[in-house]
Amino acid sequence: MYVIGKREFMSLFKGVKSLIVIAILLVTSYYSAKFADFLLSGIELSAKEAENIHTVGLLGLLLLLGQLFIAGLSHDTINRETHERTMRFLVTRTSRTSIVLGKFLGIWLFWFICLIISFLIISMFAQKIDIFIFSQTMSLVTYQISLTVLLSVLIPKPGFTMFLSIVVGLSFPILGLWVVFTSNVWVSWTKYITPFYYLEREDFSFLVIFIVAGIMLFFANFIFKRREC
Amino acid sequence: MIAIETKQLKKSYGASPIVKGIDFIVKQEEIFGFLGRNGAGKSTLINMLTGIIQPSSGTYSLLGVKGPNDQVKKRIGVMPDYSILYSSLTAMEHLKYLSALSGKSAGKEWCMEVLTFVGLEAHARKKVAKFSFGMKKKLGIALAIIHDPELVFLDEPTSGLDAESAIQIQKLIRRLRKRGKTIFMTSHNLAEVEKLCTRIAIMKEGKIVKSGTMDELRAFYRSTIKVRIKHSPVPASEQMKLHQWLESAGTDLEVNDPYVTITVKDENRIAEIIRAFQQCRADVLRVEVEEPSLEDIFLDE
Repeated sequence: MYVIGKREFMSLFKGVKSLIVIAILLVTSYYSAKFADFLLSGIELSAKEAENIHTVGLLGLLLLLGQLFIAGLSHDTINRETHERTMRFLVTRTSRTSIVLGKFLGIWLFWFICLIISFLIISMFAQKIDIFIFSQTMSLVTYQISLTVLLSVLIPKPGFTMFLSIVVGLSFPILGLWVVFTSNVWVSWTKYITPFYYLEREDFSFLVIFIVAGIMLFFANFIFKRREC
Repeated sequence: MIAIETKQLKKSYGASPIVKGIDFIVKQEEIFGFLGRNGAGKSTLINMLTGIIQPSSGTYSLLGVKGPNDQVKKRIGVMPDYSILYSSLTAMEHLKYLSALSGKSAGKEWCMEVLTFVGLEAHARKKVAKFSFGMKKKLGIALAIIHDPELVFLDEPTSGLDAESAIQIQKLIRRLRKRGKTIFMTSHNLAEVEKLCTRIAIMKEGKIVKSGTMDELRAFYRSTIKVRIKHSPVPASEQMKLHQWLESAGTDLEVNDPYVTITVKDENRIAEIIRAFQQCRADVLRVEVEEPSLEDIFLDE
């Protein structure tokens, strides 16, 4: 698991796409935190709003485009190896659960490092690190990574997951936010399986997002164990 | 000790059976060859044994451990059916990554030793994308043995290679056996299997139709022995009589003076044929007995 995770983690730092995503994250963190200082001096905000203002830019970016970024980089984490048959090397050497968890771990660590750096940049302006907001952000990213891994197991063709990652990445925040606020009883129940409902609440209910992510990962592993490589 | 044992191993896709209940045993330190035409089910069988696909029914055990079992994966090495490698990695990176995955992280020295074993020591730092087909096959073998497994699966190790590369790989396989490895290989190359393998199984339409050592298979087919006799001229008065006798003695009679070729069902017939020539006042100058080759056996099946 750790060997696969390490390789996945290292490979994510290679390539132009990753560098662009890292640059967007860091630039957004820097300028949103810098702009937050300007907002704090010019606009009257409540204590709570003022407290979180430095992380607004980064959180907004991840809420709206996080799924697109994660799926854009890792949509083919499983199916690329299945398609190119290099997966045969892996399944003949280690357990399928190790492969799924290793892939997940590698992607998760990549985003963990990126977010740590982003929050450190923000902390330079905010003069503090908000562990609660960081945990909420990590729960969102964990959910999005699990969804990406699940899609990569479900769909065998990397070309199709590429297309799907764009569709899901764009529609996910729109639909996610809609189901949170809609009164339509036929769809409102789906808010419990999206992260937005839990993130909107300012308590520890974001921990449920980790459970939902775990369930998605469980299904990904369940399907992958039955999949031919 | 038994390296591989299968009991009624089956694989079907929908209503189509691919492997129809296979039973066989491979002993340790054997080179076991699996022969069959395209679509006979050889690769499906190897994929089931190595955990790439799940059997529909039946059981198998590898090195005494009932499969599928993730622990036994550390004790087996697999060279897949064609060169599937990470084009962005070098040979050395491949060996390090896949050995670590097998739970036995190989150091630089061991990696170089394995690369030297397969003759790729000069290409350790070269990206696999720049490798020739033969080099990829050799690296495939290196990857199969990097974690020092007891049992090695080689799926068509020499297919698509030129004669020189194929011979090099055959030498590698022999050296692996000398190192005490059990080798399970599939091949289309009958001559190669005949030369390399200690036991052979012939698979047809998802079933094993014949298995045993080369001698056992020959013994089974020895009932049809092709004999070529060179003889002195037969007197004209005896020719008709001899021809009639030969026709009754065997099949596929070919007369092409001074040679007669005939297929007989019994070794004892050869002595009778020689006596028949002598009775017809002709000397037998040379007798050539053609052993049934694996090709004959394979084609017959």
